[in-house]
Amino acid sequence: MMANSLASDLAAIVGDANIATSTGDLEAYGRDWTRFYQPDPSMVVFPKTAEQLVQLVAIANERHLALVPSGGRTGLSGGAVAREREIVVSFDRMNRIHSFDPVDHTVLVEPGVVTASLQAYAEDQSLAYPVDFASAGSSQIGGNIATNAGGIKVLRYGLTRDQIAGLKVVTGKGDVLNLNQGLIKNATGYDLRHLFIGSEGTLGFIVEATIRLSAPPPDLNVLLLAVPGMDSVMRVFDVFRRKASLTAFEFFSDQAMNHVLSHQNIGAPFGDRSDYYVLLELEETSLEGAMTAFEACLEEGTVIDGVVSQSEQQRVDLWRYREGISESITPHTPYKNDLAVRISRVPEFLAAVSDTVSARYPDFELIWFGHIGDGNLHLNILRPADWSIESFKAECDSVSDEVMAVVARFEGSVSAEHGVGLLKRDQLHFSRSPAEIEMMLGLKQVFDPNNVMNPGKLLPR
Amino acid sequence: MKVLVAAKRVVDYNVNVRVLSDESGVDLNNVKMSVNPFDEIAIEEAVRLKEAGQAEEVIVVSVGTSACQEQIRTALALGADRGILVETDEEVQPLGIAKVLKAIMDKEQPEIVIAGKQAIDGDNSQTGQMLAALGGYGQATFASEVELGDGTATVTREIDGGLETITVKLPAVITTDLRLNEPRYASLPNIMKAKKKPIDTYTPADLGVDVTPSIKTLKVSPPAERQAGIVVETVEELVDKLKNEAKVI
Repeated sequence: MMANSLASDLAAIVGDANIATSTGDLEAYGRDWTRFYQPDPSMVVFPKTAEQLVQLVAIANERHLALVPSGGRTGLSGGAVAREREIVVSFDRMNRIHSFDPVDHTVLVEPGVVTASLQAYAEDQSLAYPVDFASAGSSQIGGNIATNAGGIKVLRYGLTRDQIAGLKVVTGKGDVLNLNQGLIKNATGYDLRHLFIGSEGTLGFIVEATIRLSAPPPDLNVLLLAVPGMDSVMRVFDVFRRKASLTAFEFFSDQAMNHVLSHQNIGAPFGDRSDYYVLLELEETSLEGAMTAFEACLEEGTVIDGVVSQSEQQRVDLWRYREGISESITPHTPYKNDLAVRISRVPEFLAAVSDTVSARYPDFELIWFGHIGDGNLHLNILRPADWSIESFKAECDSVSDEVMAVVARFEGSVSAEHGVGLLKRDQLHFSRSPAEIEMMLGLKQVFDPNNVMNPGKLLPR
Repeated sequence: MKVLVAAKRVVDYNVNVRVLSDESGVDLNNVKMSVNPFDEIAIEEAVRLKEAGQAEEVIVVSVGTSACQEQIRTALALGADRGILVETDEEVQPLGIAKVLKAIMDKEQPEIVIAGKQAIDGDNSQTGQMLAALGGYGQATFASEVELGDGTATVTREIDGGLETITVKLPAVITTDLRLNEPRYASLPNIMKAKKKPIDTYTPADLGVDVTPSIKTLKVSPPAERQAGIVVETVEELVDKLKNEAKVI
């Protein structure tokens, strides 16, 4: 009966049509793209205004309920999973783009705006929202901010954090904070806006964001290079970075290339094979400089071969060699790691992690790829065909702490851009010191004293 | 055997073109330009003939402003041996281009001309046919397969609802369809080498050709905008809309 009275109290706030309790809705809204957890929320509410959210938070505090924020549900760390009868707060119906300021080049949006819609809106203003990644067609801007989403253009345009000029949030206490108000300069002490960016909904929920738009990107070209080793990859990065205006610098291994070629049914980009490949994207105006860089690298032997896009279609097609990797290895139930270290330490780090895994499991195939330009490496461990999924995952979990210990030794991050959520929560201590984690728990206490905002995520309980 | 390839500089296939507000044409300012995709296929086919030992020399021709050198350089990087730019600031139309290509054929005497079946800007699909008519050459349009014989070419053509195979005598004009081949990427070492390959430049007047446009564009307009979809709340509402608004049931 209590559930019923709760449902009717919530309905009084958002309206009957904005509450869902069907099994299908509970399952769909109770999880993100992470598939390790069984969703079990008590209901889903769809507020339409900030005022409604304030009331929801008030009820949650009164009755000690847990709220889980839900955006496009494309997260990979379980940050939006509700598995303990929480109330899911979906931002699907707070999806209006309010206003564009042609002088400030900012746009005021609600959190439920889909990333791709914001990109399209910016394009209509002859500007650009430059944060981009594979799930942009589903993910929402509120979730992007709460996870400080990165993606494929970070090298040139930065993270989601760098595009946020202002935030309006409802804290766990129920306060409405209007943070930074779209200012560029604002030297008035602690910038609380940045605490909420990447907070994974543990301090409060975002109800409005002022987003800075960029000048539209110039024409771009993609180069795909065959590179003999990791040290050469770093050297190529150095040489090209001096000569060309790079928008992306990605690498992947020959094993990754093999999976793409056999899975995607596309031909090899060039005759020569090599241990590693580099995909770099640059502004067309700096193509001359890139040619000079290529000649220098070819001469010193740090590249073996390379191709360059001659049209927009070819640029998109060349990206497929890199972007097709995840999909191509999916049949092998990959165990995914999203790690980051300082760029200069990438080769040594990669070798150390490979050794750690291979020492225990010489039969496991390791697929490396990632955004070298950001020091972000994706390590995928593939399941051998004769291993069951359960025993494979259990073994990977057991070696995972050893891998994370290597991350800690290299002063890296256990989660470069996928967030912490539930999946990486217990490994947070490999990247953050006990003192830091204590501070984070303290901040949580300040903004959300009753622990109603996405409890159990990000921080140890 | 010599093979001549025609390559047109066009607005990149992936660019969203915008119609100028005075409806005189599309906005070409700061728009990405590329080789016409069908001409990319023509270049690839010519280079494959050369790699198979069936052609000795591949010459690429482009007609237009000096910027067309970029597209010629692309073709040279892909394997063409030398380029010819016929430079003009006039808007060149299919007949003008066909006349220019005829003059180049008289000069170079190639056995085969390969060109795209159409350019994606004007969508005319006329140049190849006009060239064949002007020179009295054989023509095999919309090719999806080309096989060279002794003084002949056997070409499979993509036609409505099927394929047609014809044999033409050389010299002949072949225009390419999408399925003929899959063009390769331009290799960076080959781009470096291509810098040394020669490009000859002529004007239409040098070739004794008049490219003055014979067709005047009256108006260019964008396609009608599609209405955005709506979300209906109930099945009843959906049925009602289908019945009374869309009138499909």
